[in-house]
Amino acid sequence: MSARPTEGNPLRAFVAQVWGSIFRHGLPTTDKVAARTALTNFFLHIHPVRVKKSAIRVSYTLCLGGLSFFLFILLTISGLFLMFYYIPSVDQAYQNIKDLQFVATFGLVIRNLHRWAAHGMVITVWLHMARVFYQGSYKPPREFNWAIGTFLLLTTLLLSFSGYLLPWDQLAVWAITVGTNMAKYAPIAGPYTRYLLLGGRNVGQGALIRFYVLHVVALPLIGFILMVIHFWRVRKDGFTGGL
Amino acid sequence: MATTVDGTPSETGDGASVPVNRTTATGVRTPRPRGTGPELAATPLVVRRREEEETVVTFPALVWKEFLAGLAAFVVLLAVSIQVNAPLLQRANTAITPNPAKAPWYFLGLQELLERFPPVMAGVAFPSFVIIFMILTPYLDRNPSRRPQDRKVAIALFTIYMCLTVCFVVIGVFFRGMAFNWDWTRILGHPGVKPAV
Repeated sequence: MSARPTEGNPLRAFVAQVWGSIFRHGLPTTDKVAARTALTNFFLHIHPVRVKKSAIRVSYTLCLGGLSFFLFILLTISGLFLMFYYIPSVDQAYQNIKDLQFVATFGLVIRNLHRWAAHGMVITVWLHMARVFYQGSYKPPREFNWAIGTFLLLTTLLLSFSGYLLPWDQLAVWAITVGTNMAKYAPIAGPYTRYLLLGGRNVGQGALIRFYVLHVVALPLIGFILMVIHFWRVRKDGFTGGL
Repeated sequence: MATTVDGTPSETGDGASVPVNRTTATGVRTPRPRGTGPELAATPLVVRRREEEETVVTFPALVWKEFLAGLAAFVVLLAVSIQVNAPLLQRANTAITPNPAKAPWYFLGLQELLERFPPVMAGVAFPSFVIIFMILTPYLDRNPSRRPQDRKVAIALFTIYMCLTVCFVVIGVFFRGMAFNWDWTRILGHPGVKPAV
């Protein structure tokens, strides 16, 4: 549809102008139009205009990288809903989760979705790493993107780990106690690292607010920045394609 | 088939480079624009495309696949979320230690190592080594081939690592009972004891 107003009906012309100002090109009727649409759309621009057919075969990618990103978006949205109800205080957190389960409309489903998607993301990111290794896609010129991928895997694990504490139930507190005890064993820095992470010697209010801030702000931001670089490099280095 | 940079098929067959024709029909040579991209190349770039390297436009070919994959993942997750509730135990009580106290499942491999090795080794040295080795993998693997038949050692080593990781997590989740001791009964039940209905 053109951005230029058409003759006759002024309302149609106005609608055409608004539509044309938002979407600069129409639906992908031909390859040429499809290419232009992809080039002029912010969201579609994440992809190159053309790729090797073998590079996007589902049996080749298994959709694992894409699914990891999809789960990240799903977790961000469901996490936002949970944030409306959750207060990171040792006196209120557990009751907030109970309220989510039994009082808030769809609260239970959103919490379940957030929990299972988080486990799912750990699995898909890990499998994506395995897929990339088995296909040798980390080889030059993609060495550094593999390193970024490693940090993304670590960020995913830390995101999941920091979220584990938030329900403030027995499972949460003791899993974090066991997990952070591992950090204690590092020579010299170990005990300080644990103290820094927990904001104290035990898992208490200090730990809860630290984990909360890490979980909802710091780690998603780090993950997002790493993802942007990861995707940009995938585009710039080109797709590997079939073996 | 060979194609020149501007996408026009070359007429001289496979592999032969064709100079870009800058002379118009009247024989007057048009001035070459200086300093612009491929114009600087002495000979035109020839892009060879083999049959299997056929390309497609990402929109809609790739976007459509991503949409379907995302939709399928969402439907599966929603179905699971409606059926299975996320665990929520009793309110946290630092005075009562559950037995066994376990880390989240993806860290159970580390917890398993902690049972077997000195803490500095299991809690610090091993994970640091794995992370650093992973980052360095592309720089250490000097084999340029991506074909599996040329990468037998790399694939074997990685597969061993993957299997160990999965085994440790499975053991940690299903076969570790009281005080993190080995426990078949979590999976198989107690021999001779019928579960109470």
